[in-house]
Amino acid sequence: MNSLFIICVDDQPEVLNALEQDLKLFDEKFNVEVCDSAAEAIELMDEIDQHGDYAAVVITDQVMPELTGVDLLSKITGDERFHDTQKILLTGLATHEDTIQAINTGGIDHYIEKPWSKEEITNIIKKCLTQFILTKGIEYQSYMEYLDQDTLYKSLKTNT
Amino acid sequence: MKFFKLVACVLLPLLILLIPTEIIPLSGITEIEKRVIAIFIFAALSWVLEPIPIYTTSLTIILLELVLLSNKALTFLKFEGEDYGKSIPYIDILHTFASPIIILFLGGFFLAMAATKYRLDQNLARVLLSPFGSSPKAVMFGVMLITAIFSMFMSNTATTAMMLSILTPVLALCKPDDKGKIGLLLSVPVAANIGGIGTPIGTPPNAVALKYLTGDDVISFGQWMSFAVPYVAVLLIIGWFILIFLYPIRTEQIKLDIKGQFLKNTKAYVVYATFIVTILLWLTDFIHGMNAYIVAMIPVTVFSISGIINKKDLQNISWDVLWLVSGGIALGLALDVTGLADRLISSISFENFPPLVIITAAALIAALMANFMSNTATANLLLPLIAVVGTTVASLTDLGGSQMVIIVTTIACSMGMALPISTPPNALAFGTGIITTKDMAKPGIVIATIGLLLSFALVAIMFLTGFFK
Repeated sequence: MNSLFIICVDDQPEVLNALEQDLKLFDEKFNVEVCDSAAEAIELMDEIDQHGDYAAVVITDQVMPELTGVDLLSKITGDERFHDTQKILLTGLATHEDTIQAINTGGIDHYIEKPWSKEEITNIIKKCLTQFILTKGIEYQSYMEYLDQDTLYKSLKTNT
Repeated sequence: MKFFKLVACVLLPLLILLIPTEIIPLSGITEIEKRVIAIFIFAALSWVLEPIPIYTTSLTIILLELVLLSNKALTFLKFEGEDYGKSIPYIDILHTFASPIIILFLGGFFLAMAATKYRLDQNLARVLLSPFGSSPKAVMFGVMLITAIFSMFMSNTATTAMMLSILTPVLALCKPDDKGKIGLLLSVPVAANIGGIGTPIGTPPNAVALKYLTGDDVISFGQWMSFAVPYVAVLLIIGWFILIFLYPIRTEQIKLDIKGQFLKNTKAYVVYATFIVTILLWLTDFIHGMNAYIVAMIPVTVFSISGIINKKDLQNISWDVLWLVSGGIALGLALDVTGLADRLISSISFENFPPLVIITAAALIAALMANFMSNTATANLLLPLIAVVGTTVASLTDLGGSQMVIIVTTIACSMGMALPISTPPNALAFGTGIITTKDMAKPGIVIATIGLLLSFALVAIMFLTGFFK
């Protein structure tokens, strides 16, 4: 079975640690990976694609040296291989300009403000995973406990 | 794990293909019949173990039949002589993809899609639920009634998804330690599973059953509803009692909030009218002479012409469900045409068993299998054999023959509802995380047991009232 990846990007190790901790419950069925730069994330996604696996969700910080979070998300949006990848911006320091860019060129699906709560981030990731799994036509039954029920119902309602 | 399952599903049938026919303890068995046994075993194993999605098993059955059994089979696998047996015209095998049964289901899909798209389902649910007020028990009965009615025309899964999306926000408002929440939540899958029995298009096993009700045994859409709807009604009320007995509700008030109003535009009116006309035509074939399969083409055509169902919507059709049924029909075809079903059934001396034992065994096996695998796959495997039992066993033919055993077995296929894996509606309810497997198994087993007994009572009444000619 192809694996699904949740990719966390931040230049601060302590933030990545905290994220990893909060996303532990996804470890069993998904691969939670951390990257300390946008470049590393792009490299990882390339590798995932090569293996025929899925980059399901990317959560990135905005303020990072070299490529910013929005830069990373814009690159992903422009890449047809990752058309369905769900994009989350996790930041405490986004300017008005960044936010506009995140929506217009980054194509973000969710915006999470720092500091986040575990419950909030879990729910948002569940929603994103559900959306990704349904769009890709992956058998959703085996991921049941990680799915957002509402998103699932909406999709199943319109299927025959 | 998956790999070992796949190996088992391939090796055992392969072994049967390779052994000489003489070893098989069925006198006079031909090469072709032996290949049918191998395909049947492959189908049974892979539908039970599910190393591949169940509809792909159906596709494999069809390919194997074309390659191994058809008149255009691989040349070097064919030989002259009586030992070879009767091959199947390849065109008949391919026809299973567009069997009238499939078209009937397609008609049902179009009705369901149009209803959802024009929010007929949501609006009907709102109107039909309002008389049930806010007393939890009454609301629960209302939810069950509507779920059951909808699942007669929509897929059980889509109905469950819709009703759960209405119900789950309310459950969050219940007192946290209220056991009644479990009952309320379970009422949806229970009603969806039961409701599917109500019409030939309610759930795929019913459609598979129609395939084996041919010739003198034909049952029309209306005739099916004439016995199945009362059955559903009685079992639904029993199910409601069992759920409120097992999980008494302590929350005093429940208010379901369904927003919206009936759409009032031309397309919406076309949807309403087509819906009503199609169902009326289905029920009145004895007047106009068009059978259910022909009528099913009406919604398909009308909704396509009017753009109510467009090319994008066509992609939402569950081809997997249709193909799953096709594979079942192809399997039945092979069992029938090659003569294996007759040979198999006549080799077991069913005459020695009392008819009640045969019926009970068929129902129990079907219900048990349906708990652990797809209801449709259960019907695909059992009904072709059961149909032959119904026609060949003399003691059964007096009691209603094929019609009777097929009805009992088909209903039993819908009684697999004790586990989260039993049906997609169960899986959805379980997915909410509010209930445990045990919570689901208790009412599931009780309702299924009563349902089986009730199906015996149903065919007894049908026998006494002269339904079986």
